[in-house]
Amino acid sequence: MSGGAPLAVPGRIRDAREEPNLAIECDFCVVGSGAGGSIAAAVLAETGANVMIVEEGQHHTRRDFNMQEAWAYENLYQDHGNRTTDDLSILILQGRTVGGGTTVNWTSSFRTPERTLALWASRHGVTGLDAATLAPHFEAVEKRLSIQDGNPDDVNANNRKLLEGGRKLGWEPALIRRSVKGCARLGACGLGCPLDAKQSALVTYVPDALAAGAQLFTNARAKLIETDRGRAKGVVCEVLDPGPDRSLGRRFVVYARRGVVLAGGAINTPALLLRSKIVKASDAVGRRTFLHPTVPIVSFYEEPIEGFYGPPQSVACHHFADRGERVGYFLETAPTHPMLAAVALPGFGSAHRELMTKLAHAQATIALLIDGHHDDEGGRVAAETDGRIRVRYPLTPALREAAIDAIKNMARLQLAAGARVVMTLHEDPITIRSEADLAQVDAAPFGPNRHTLFSAHQMGGAAMGEDPARSVVNSRGRHHQLENLWVTDGSLFPSSLGVNPQLSIYALARLFATEIARTR
Amino acid sequence: MLKTGVVGAALLAVGGPLFLLSRSGRPARASRGSLRVLTPYEHEILASAAARLVPGDGAAGWPSAEALDVAGKLDALVARLHPRAIKEFRQVLHVFESALTGAVSIGSPQTFTRSSATDQDRRLQSWRHSRVAVFRSGYQAMKRLAHAVYYSSPEIYPRIGYPGPPAVPQVPA
Repeated sequence: MSGGAPLAVPGRIRDAREEPNLAIECDFCVVGSGAGGSIAAAVLAETGANVMIVEEGQHHTRRDFNMQEAWAYENLYQDHGNRTTDDLSILILQGRTVGGGTTVNWTSSFRTPERTLALWASRHGVTGLDAATLAPHFEAVEKRLSIQDGNPDDVNANNRKLLEGGRKLGWEPALIRRSVKGCARLGACGLGCPLDAKQSALVTYVPDALAAGAQLFTNARAKLIETDRGRAKGVVCEVLDPGPDRSLGRRFVVYARRGVVLAGGAINTPALLLRSKIVKASDAVGRRTFLHPTVPIVSFYEEPIEGFYGPPQSVACHHFADRGERVGYFLETAPTHPMLAAVALPGFGSAHRELMTKLAHAQATIALLIDGHHDDEGGRVAAETDGRIRVRYPLTPALREAAIDAIKNMARLQLAAGARVVMTLHEDPITIRSEADLAQVDAAPFGPNRHTLFSAHQMGGAAMGEDPARSVVNSRGRHHQLENLWVTDGSLFPSSLGVNPQLSIYALARLFATEIARTR
Repeated sequence: MLKTGVVGAALLAVGGPLFLLSRSGRPARASRGSLRVLTPYEHEILASAAARLVPGDGAAGWPSAEALDVAGKLDALVARLHPRAIKEFRQVLHVFESALTGAVSIGSPQTFTRSSATDQDRRLQSWRHSRVAVFRSGYQAMKRLAHAVYYSSPEIYPRIGYPGPPAVPQVPA
């Protein structure tokens, strides 16, 4: 400790590089400034607690958001847009900046499905977490984020094809509620909103936390949780140089008198727990990591689609979410910005270039596989001694079956909507012009790097539940061994959600933080 | 096309015939700026691969990978990865370049950088479809990086029918 008066000055975002070597005292240290961290910090600070947020990303604002992919992925995403599973088979899009994933998500807002809550209760020993308990927290978040019923005017051509095709087939597609206010429909949600129309944590709960006196350090990576006699004592952070993304060799410690709240996101939170080697830590740490593995297809239309403009997601179809004993999935769209499309489209050279020249006429539908609701165990996060985080994620036969079914149904939907041709994103793409072509999908290889796969939803790895042998924290986010350590991010989920996660993370974090605030 | 199988992978793993490993590649062309992590030779391998990955044959009027300095930009991008990921990426480049890889993957015992454009494409295709998972991963690493850098360049936007980011309505500061 440096001694003397507290060094921290309330209510500011500070760059850790510009601070001298520090030891900081506070009531609560919150790791991460995304959905789970920002709202927890705001709730705690508003009770008068002294809160310190540490964020490994930088502070970028709408003035920085130039809607250029090359800048956005490098500066706003984990590993500069290069985070993947260990074998490179799933490209993982995950935010890393003030506001976390909410700064770059596509604004889709769903409450946690009741069948998912029921699954957590029946199979994973989660107690006291039902729709009625969560309802006031959803309502509060929805109000703060200006989440309203889906707006038909938000539906661009890319989403309209999902809507029209789904309706023709009776699959009940629906408009998505979005976290926006004054949206100009630029289509740049994933690159940072240059208008602050997206109601991300960057412009809502982070300012709320700061207004209530919290402080936030950027370029500060949480390396270890310090413990003392069964309690979390503080968080050891290293100062990052964001240019080369390397430690500057300086560390500081945030001593938290009342507790530590982990909200660095699924993957990073389990990795921090693993690095910290907390005594008697559950074997569950890092296990059951879920990704909603996302299978895209591309359909080509005679008319322009221009899926690079307009709200990226405004329509969803959950017709196949519950497939009984088989893995379910839901359908949404993805924007067709050039870089994202180029990475997703298979092949190289002239064949790939030819596809890229049709970009304006391309429609992109995605199927998000609902992992973890059956016997599948998902992936596993490992934290290596040199600081590297690895994610292993097996593509099981059950996921393969779901992916094949999803590809076929996405193709049926787009053909029903009038697509001239549908193309799968296998390395040897299958061209589909009619129902008769769908049988080829069964025989196509599906495995690591045989087919384009993404993940924009990272969940699990520090699951909640009442059984310490099978979970990391209890049903209110409190660590099973360290009584003043909590988790409030997506790593809590014992399975994937079956919907886009931001609203669930906010609501659970708000509920948990409300209870954390009562602890002394 | 020969597909690199388990035998080929094992051969590469144990070193294989040394005379093939020792074959030299094409002398490195000068990089546009100073390199951060790649050696000039590694830059040459990457530049040669990028030239086949983008924009491809028959692309009259399209900027070349070299014109957009794809390999140089990738050097800067790779420099920000975890040190062990950088090491692995460099290893992939060397394995990809080796004459032994050419021998077991497409039956041509030549380095990648000294191969004809046709054989370079065959080697990329071989890794793309390989039964060996690490070769498919290596192909995807090079492919995704090169495509990301090339197609996010504003110079390419008009070629692919992308008008660019929309104008931002003015809002009070």
